[in-house]
Amino acid sequence: MKKLLIVFIMIIVFLLIYFLQANFFNWFTIAGNKPNVFIILILFISLFASKEISISFSILSGIFLDALIAKKVGISGIMFGIITVLGIYFDKNFSKDSKLTIILMTIGATIIYEIGTYVLNSILQGAQLEILPFIKILSIETLYNVLITIIIYPIFRVAGNIVEENFKGNKILTRYF
Amino acid sequence: MYKKKTGVIGIIITVIILILLVFISNMDIKKMSYVENILSSIVMPIQNGLTYLKNKVSGNNTFFSDINNLKQENEELKNKNAELEKQLREFEIIKSENATLKEYVNLSEQYSEYTTKPAYIINKDISNYSSIFVINIGEKDGIKPNMTVISEKGLVGHIISVTENTSKVQTIIDTANTVSAVLSSSHDAIICKGTLEDKSILKGSYIPTNANLILGDKLETSGMGGIYPKGIIVGTVKTIESTKNITDRYITITPAVDFEKVQTVLVITSS
Repeated sequence: MKKLLIVFIMIIVFLLIYFLQANFFNWFTIAGNKPNVFIILILFISLFASKEISISFSILSGIFLDALIAKKVGISGIMFGIITVLGIYFDKNFSKDSKLTIILMTIGATIIYEIGTYVLNSILQGAQLEILPFIKILSIETLYNVLITIIIYPIFRVAGNIVEENFKGNKILTRYF
Repeated sequence: MYKKKTGVIGIIITVIILILLVFISNMDIKKMSYVENILSSIVMPIQNGLTYLKNKVSGNNTFFSDINNLKQENEELKNKNAELEKQLREFEIIKSENATLKEYVNLSEQYSEYTTKPAYIINKDISNYSSIFVINIGEKDGIKPNMTVISEKGLVGHIISVTENTSKVQTIIDTANTVSAVLSSSHDAIICKGTLEDKSILKGSYIPTNANLILGDKLETSGMGGIYPKGIIVGTVKTIESTKNITDRYITITPAVDFEKVQTVLVITSS
């Protein structure tokens, strides 16, 4: 029952982020560039929730996002899936108690997601790759994501512990290393 | 020794007073009024309080009946204010609806040779690398993929997918979109594309080597490519960028439509 409630809250948070991305972050930009808060959410879920929940949530939310606003359905689903696998790997190998580790994870996840999405979109639509402008936008977006991660880190930790205790129970290991 | 010290202090104080007097007496009236304001702001509250007390004491018998009247009056004014605020809100809604309708009428008249459907943007892209938006009409309104989307100022883009009630529009500033356009003065055809470098410009390439490029020249759709009809304004030439090889030269174009501000569009359903 508690797990179900957490999944429901995750869906509500996802929708909230969607409305923030589509409205607030359209004008609250750094040099005209928006953050991608979905990446932080997907990373959070993959770090703290169970494998099954995080993989299904990320793929479904990616497909949902693509269906709403993207050109091709599936690309975000695939990339969110990759971020989740990456998050699960991070969870096994790194401590989540350090703010710096979470920040580095956010940087890695943002870079991998955006490069993957951009390359896949370019291949599928025959668009020309513009490497330098892409790096510029990606740097600003990564910085923006890092700033948001720093701001929400306290919530990230508290909510993360609750999610982890409910989904992983006594299997939590990394916190005690 | 003591007398000598107090004497020096006295002289210093006097000099300061003198300087202050000279300074204040030579200040213009505006600055003086500033000083007056400061002084009055200190004195007036006390003065007001005293006057209030005086009035209260002298008109003691009418004080409580006045309070009751004032309370009633205040309540009536509050109600009136709420009513007026409500009317104002209604008026604002009507005003905005009227503006939207006017925009629709203007658009339809401007492109009267085409059969069009008005729509407004309900959702904008969440990514930094593409430019897509969602409009509030779909399959139910006869919208199909590849239909052209325009605004009062010019070309916006084309429909890429539809649902029953909404449609996705890929704008011309999207990096994966290309538009075949002609320069209005020379009728030379070029290809316009969005660029990540600057989301408010288009890049015009594949320029014929003998093309005569003029700054500020208008660009219209050529009608080639099968999506966009001929003669819709795309934008104006902003800069001409020369390269070593003349075949690689390109132009930057300011789109006719301001994609940050556009809210109302028309979908060309048939020409």
